[in-house]
Amino acid sequence: MLNYTQALNEDKLYQDLQMREISPIMKLIIRGKKREFISAVGKSLNMLLPTEANTSSQSEELTSLWLSPDEWMIYSNKTMDENSNEYQIEKLLNKNISNLNLGAVTDVTDQFVLINLKGNKIYDLFQTGSPYNFNNFRNKKGSVTQTILAKIDVIIQNQNRNEVNLFVRRSFSQHLFSWMNDSASRL
Amino acid sequence: MTKNLRVKTSKYIDETYRISFKFNGKKYYGFKGDTLASALLANDIHLVGRSFKYHRPRGIMTAGSEEPNAIVQLHKNTARTEPNVRATEIEIYEGLEASSQNCWPSVNFDLGGINNFLSPFLPAGFYYKTFMWPASFWEKYEYFIRKSAGLGKSPTEPDPDIYEHKYIHCDVLVIGGGISGIMAAKTAAKNGFNTLLVDEKPNLGGSTIYQNSDIFKINNQTSGSWLENEINEIKKIENLEIKTRTTVAAFHNYNFLLARENLTDHLPIEFRKDKVRHRLLKIRAKKVISATGSIERPLIFDNNDRPGILLSSAIKKYSDLYGVSCGKKNIFLTNNDTAYETAISLIQKGINVEAIIDNREIVDSKLFYELEKNNVKIYKGFTVTDTEGFKRINKVSIMQLSKDGQKVIGSKIKISCDCLGVSGGWTPSVHLFTQSGGKLKFREEDQVFIPNSYPSEQINIGSCNGDFTLNEIFLNITKSLKKFLNIKNIEYENFEISSKISKSKRNIWLLPSDKIFGKTKPFIDYQNDATAKDIKLALREGFRSIEHVKRYTTTGMGTDQGKLGNMHALGIISETAGAKMGELGTTTFRPPYTPLTFGTLVGRNVGEYFDVFRRTPIHEWHIANKAEFENVGQWKRAWYYPKDNEDMHQAVQRESRAARDSAGILDASTLGKIDIQGTDASEFLNRVYTNAWSKLSIGKCRYGLMLNEDGMVYDDGVTTRLGENHYIMTTTTGGAANVMGKLEDYLQTEWPELDVYLTSVTDHYATVSVCGPNSKKIVSTVIPDLDFSDKNFPHMSFKNTKIGHINCRVMRISFTGEHSYEINVQSNYGKSIWEKCMEAGKDFNITPYGTETMHLLRAEKGFIIVGQDTDATMTPIDLQMDWIVSKKKYDFIGKRSLYRSDTIREDRKQLVGLLTENPQEILEEGAQIIADIKKKPIEMLGHVTSSYYSPNLKKSIALGVVRGGKNMIGQKLIIPMENKFINVTVADPVFLDKENKRLNA
Repeated sequence: MLNYTQALNEDKLYQDLQMREISPIMKLIIRGKKREFISAVGKSLNMLLPTEANTSSQSEELTSLWLSPDEWMIYSNKTMDENSNEYQIEKLLNKNISNLNLGAVTDVTDQFVLINLKGNKIYDLFQTGSPYNFNNFRNKKGSVTQTILAKIDVIIQNQNRNEVNLFVRRSFSQHLFSWMNDSASRL
Repeated sequence: MTKNLRVKTSKYIDETYRISFKFNGKKYYGFKGDTLASALLANDIHLVGRSFKYHRPRGIMTAGSEEPNAIVQLHKNTARTEPNVRATEIEIYEGLEASSQNCWPSVNFDLGGINNFLSPFLPAGFYYKTFMWPASFWEKYEYFIRKSAGLGKSPTEPDPDIYEHKYIHCDVLVIGGGISGIMAAKTAAKNGFNTLLVDEKPNLGGSTIYQNSDIFKINNQTSGSWLENEINEIKKIENLEIKTRTTVAAFHNYNFLLARENLTDHLPIEFRKDKVRHRLLKIRAKKVISATGSIERPLIFDNNDRPGILLSSAIKKYSDLYGVSCGKKNIFLTNNDTAYETAISLIQKGINVEAIIDNREIVDSKLFYELEKNNVKIYKGFTVTDTEGFKRINKVSIMQLSKDGQKVIGSKIKISCDCLGVSGGWTPSVHLFTQSGGKLKFREEDQVFIPNSYPSEQINIGSCNGDFTLNEIFLNITKSLKKFLNIKNIEYENFEISSKISKSKRNIWLLPSDKIFGKTKPFIDYQNDATAKDIKLALREGFRSIEHVKRYTTTGMGTDQGKLGNMHALGIISETAGAKMGELGTTTFRPPYTPLTFGTLVGRNVGEYFDVFRRTPIHEWHIANKAEFENVGQWKRAWYYPKDNEDMHQAVQRESRAARDSAGILDASTLGKIDIQGTDASEFLNRVYTNAWSKLSIGKCRYGLMLNEDGMVYDDGVTTRLGENHYIMTTTTGGAANVMGKLEDYLQTEWPELDVYLTSVTDHYATVSVCGPNSKKIVSTVIPDLDFSDKNFPHMSFKNTKIGHINCRVMRISFTGEHSYEINVQSNYGKSIWEKCMEAGKDFNITPYGTETMHLLRAEKGFIIVGQDTDATMTPIDLQMDWIVSKKKYDFIGKRSLYRSDTIREDRKQLVGLLTENPQEILEEGAQIIADIKKKPIEMLGHVTSSYYSPNLKKSIALGVVRGGKNMIGQKLIIPMENKFINVTVADPVFLDKENKRLNA
């Protein structure tokens, strides 16, 4: 049996900001251009893929983020079992999408680390390292952006008022988390 | 206090809060709210520093960021020392230590002052003219020139402070919190714009806030108290953010601005710990309103630089805002009404005004009569011709001006004084506007440059737009804000404004003297000691462009960037050369507006945050096992694992022997991995790689070489066919992001017809590579359910399998030439699989090896490293890899370029092996390769690209590129080193196991 080690080994709590990794969260990148692709995904997941740029949609179990006109990230809303990396959703999508040549389904569960941020200082933190304009983003639930934070590519989703999910490539995650802590300590 | 020149209680100065500070080692006191300049003046200190070139005594001249003279060194000989700090800008705090610059042994007695007497021999261009010959003397001159260069001293210790950056996006940015800025910010915010108001001072209000006489009235209130109410109101507006102590340094295209927010410079040092000192604000504003105000002009006359000579507006500010009198016997020299305003303010506080010398012959303003009533002697049509007093002005000589203002007439009158206020009118601060690309126009009427056309969504309002009177400000602001913000109503319409100031002015750029011009010292650039004489000399010597005159005379090149004198330089050039000011233009205004600390620019990008580090999932294990790390791209890769004080060479020898003799293990997680799916995936690979992919069966791996459009090797790696329409490509570690970008670009722009999707999975997988004769035994222990027989699992194939419940992929591929397996597992299980392999390999002396050993092992086998053995000028044929270039394929990236006349040349540099005559001698990577030592000029044939001592072959091996090398196998060549020549023989680049016996063992 292989042991599971998540990327970030501690949660960080500040007065107006909490930051922690949530894992294991299943993450898939799905890509496709055809209309049948969109409808097949919709039927398989029982949710509509967002087609408006930089938005997301959510079902009870899954969230999907618009990443580009033919690219979405699907992630599980709840944590998975550490002792398995077989995902029913992936199997289902492989059956209904990949096997029918409608598009591509790729497991990126450990490609990205999900950092959940809560508190009213989230955007103050982002302002210290991201050139993105969060003025509208912060007021629109479900907004998604792919931007730079501390020179590192990140995907940020407005989950709720004062709650954000941030996805960063695993190899950058420790550096980013350290930078976020450094910056948060002075907010 | 030695002397106290406080004249009244100012509400901006807290006299209940006394602060002690040191200047030139001596203790003084000031109050909370003082700047260093106001506190020094309150202590009757005018002499603050020495000028750059002539070491002339200089004093405080202004009360703002335009200060050229009063620049000091803070906290000498400490880590926090800072040179060239303007005394007018630094707020005093308990423990502040400041000292004069550019003087030795002291500001009072400065040996460098000899330069003042040598000044006739130190004209403009002195350095250019003097140090040109004899050329061989330059090194001797240089020592002295370097010694006299610069003003203050840079710190030598690391900066203990913290700096940060912050990105701000706003609808409207208002620069400047004077009356115009306050009105604009309030209007914008009240109309729903998210507004940011910044001002460089600690308090808002500009020069109006301390305006409490009846000279200016707004709706029957003094302008100061009216503005105070406005400021109190705007502080309550929610969508208006106010940042004081914040200077806009740069105004770039498309309303991108940089501002420096000063957070701790006003605090005692013990309160600064762990706080951000300066924050660089990176502002994107939809609209920018510049209300940057204007700077009072000095006047240019003989000896106009003595301590005690100040701008008249500065004298007013010191008395009205700081409650400090700059002198007890004040005289003003003016060409407009501003000095009258100051004089009235002084008289109201009981400060003596001896006289006003006005260049104008006719003066008819209300202020004139008010001063006459107070028995102030006013000399109309007069000018100052000279001043006296070495370390502080004590006398002025005045004479009447001729009608044309070019000469002085009549007899000379001497008046004693201890302070001279000068006013030459006002110059709009258009620096930021022009930085943004704005074009200026010249207004003849009062000789000012004002904005002409705006390059972005921005406007200038108030005196930086040339609106100097209160009436003009109200009239033009209401008009321009309505249009700019697209609003119908503005509250400032139909206000009752009264002002006693008249606009009349008599502009004379260079005031005449009774002395011969050559004997005068009329300073234009106070900091760099450039005089009107220097400007005229430059013109006589043929300089015409204002940019050339600036550089030749150094006018405007000090830390103040000529905020005071540049206009006079232009005026004098214009008059002397007979050119119109408007046509002459100005010198280029460049960022920053005022000096920035390096820390501000750097922000948090220091220490561990200087660059981004990527870590593999196994990184912690490498650290725990004392690996040394190497930077590969942004990755930290284990370089080697020294044991028992081994150096790198010893560790690498041990690691590489273990890998060949038994088993080695490498963390290969950093290699780029791209998941490729789609019905055209095979065709896509055919177009991307030089070799053919259509016939690769599912479950098999193939090495591919990727070229650039120019036919040169770009990247390489093994790609595995996972399914009918599914591949996984590996790329080099450093090339991963570029390859991904390039391939996505091709799919989107060149081959949109292909049904192919790419997804990066580099970070999703941890890759553990186990190699060596015992690798199979080890891996089969870890994965007991998989059939590792050569028949089921031959070289260049892959298997999906499970370890417990965890899915993983195993590839039998090799970069070392050994029998080896790469286990790819989801990253969060990476550390665990590594540890499992280590455990299983214990009996086989499994040895972790780093990148250095990996490089050696692959070099023994003659495998290239893209970027080390190639340098974007190597084709596959140059690498002797003709076998990988398909002749049958219709096309692939770079194919056409392989058939250009240059790429088919036989004498291109080609990759070869190099063996040293002495097998113990290791070549230096990068060393040049030659054939004939006697040939002149010496002919360089190529260079060494990789070089190692191979413990397995027990000899030194190297790869290199040699012109025509392919046909030189066996030939002797020479590597010239600093102190010897090394003889080498050209060899086949594969040194070990050419028959691939070990791979298939």
